[in-house]
Amino acid sequence: MKQILVIAEMLDGVIQPATWEITAAAAKIKKLKESGQIKIIIPSDDPLPIAKETAKQTGMDVIGLKSNDLKDYDSDVYKQCLFKLVKTIDPSHILTAHTSQGRDFAPGLAISFNAASIACVNEIKKDDKGLLYSRSVLGNTKNMIVRPAEGIPVVLTLMPGVFQPDNFNNQKKGRVEICEIAFDPDCSNTRRIRHEKILQKSCENKTLKGAKIIVSAGRGIGKKENLDAIFKFAQCFSSSAVGVSRPLVDMGWIGYEHQVGITGAAVSPRLYIACGISGSSQHLAGMKDARFVVSINNNPDAPIFRHSDLCIVEDIDPFLQAFLKVVQTK
Amino acid sequence: MKSLICIKQSNESGEMNLFDTHAIEEALKLKQKFENRGYQEDFSVDVVTIGPSENSKIIKRAFGMGADKGYHVITKERGYSFSFETASRLAAVAKKESYDLILTGIMSQDLMAGQTGPMLAEILNLPCVTGVVKTELAADNSSIKVEQEMENGFRNGLEIILPAVLTIQAGINTPRYPTLSRMLAAGKKEIMTFNETDLFSKKTGAVQAREIFVSMEDPQKTRAGHLLQGSLADKAKQLFTVLHGKALI
Repeated sequence: MKQILVIAEMLDGVIQPATWEITAAAAKIKKLKESGQIKIIIPSDDPLPIAKETAKQTGMDVIGLKSNDLKDYDSDVYKQCLFKLVKTIDPSHILTAHTSQGRDFAPGLAISFNAASIACVNEIKKDDKGLLYSRSVLGNTKNMIVRPAEGIPVVLTLMPGVFQPDNFNNQKKGRVEICEIAFDPDCSNTRRIRHEKILQKSCENKTLKGAKIIVSAGRGIGKKENLDAIFKFAQCFSSSAVGVSRPLVDMGWIGYEHQVGITGAAVSPRLYIACGISGSSQHLAGMKDARFVVSINNNPDAPIFRHSDLCIVEDIDPFLQAFLKVVQTK
Repeated sequence: MKSLICIKQSNESGEMNLFDTHAIEEALKLKQKFENRGYQEDFSVDVVTIGPSENSKIIKRAFGMGADKGYHVITKERGYSFSFETASRLAAVAKKESYDLILTGIMSQDLMAGQTGPMLAEILNLPCVTGVVKTELAADNSSIKVEQEMENGFRNGLEIILPAVLTIQAGINTPRYPTLSRMLAAGKKEIMTFNETDLFSKKTGAVQAREIFVSMEDPQKTRAGHLLQGSLADKAKQLFTVLHGKALI
């Protein structure tokens, strides 16, 4: 019975919530395969306390992957230590989160382990030939269904926010095992990647996080000047804030503190109004917890409409003007 | 200094993948700074793409931006190829010269996997940093300082010993437009082409796919998706009524 490995997402020595989503995906794989045993791997310089707590909380078996070099994330160290461990286990599946860390080390791990590698998985299914993995492609307008080649293991990175964490069976306690693995840098005695510092681009996205209503703009607003209309529109609502999709920040139209999505803020307002946002999976991951979603877009096929409560197919500027007129008469 | 930029034609737009234009721009900027420092040595910016013969148009565009040499691995298949196959082919090309720096876009716009760069690095046994938003070559050119984008607005400041692979995130720069004179010259410039048999020996054979395409599906709806009907003014009124009814306005 081959094992299904979950590689925990660690940050500053703390296990991250994304780990429970990956564990839920692992449970789904086990159920669909009708076999397999799940093990959670915790890479850390001091994994024992976290491993014990995790085994207690989840009821699953945990391997603490211990190395002094695993204190902070380093792709070379992660790949080498994980490879050494994984080789001895020979699992059928290796799962991790599609985060800045996961997508950094997982593809390389798949190469050294001669495994298939499927990124950004958003659903797991099966047909008569085995398990199938779905991933969002073409600007989130399609899901591509992929299967690994026969007889090889697979490394999966899972889209954050998609798999709902399970209620764990913590009646029983999982077993804890510590594996100490030394990292040895290639020939020379130095690491190839040196960590200098952590920088913070902006510490103030509190405005977005606390807002009850968020009016967001995407590339579909056309030009930078049209952001004024978005701000004016947002003023129709009390306790509102303006959000944007990533391209607007990349183009320098507005500051990072307004960015909603996987690399920006995750928000959960009572109302989210998406203006000219096509709806990439990265953006959706940041606003899926909004209570009510209204989308305005002149493209009737924009993916955002599949994830909206109310859909308005119109050009942004004329629509906002029409709306302001209605507000003025009330 | 030799740099290689891996570029791809988007299946959606037929244009060069957006993130790859940022990768070329970053290499050209590094080249500029390198030359301003007055080294005797050259800084070359080569590009490589994989795909059917008509994809050479993006190599010409790269020439128009200022790239030096162009490599094209000609494959018959149109449509989608998986990262492992792409990375294996790119690695075979990259091995032909000793590159100090290899750049790719952080991901393709069409398949959005972001795996090609880190896989290429692993095959070549080079260090790799994904999602780079800033670069600066060290004074002795033996390493490069970068900033890597993390979640929640954090950035990792790293220094990587060269040779290395970096995958470039959008927002790092504004890609230049090809100049007319360069585009005219690009037409005459030679592109070095390879096919699969040039790249892989008979012994190793062509790349074995590790992932199999099954089908394309429409994503499922996650919300009601009620479409407002009527004139512009009608829709504006309806929206107001709905939001008012929910005490949101």
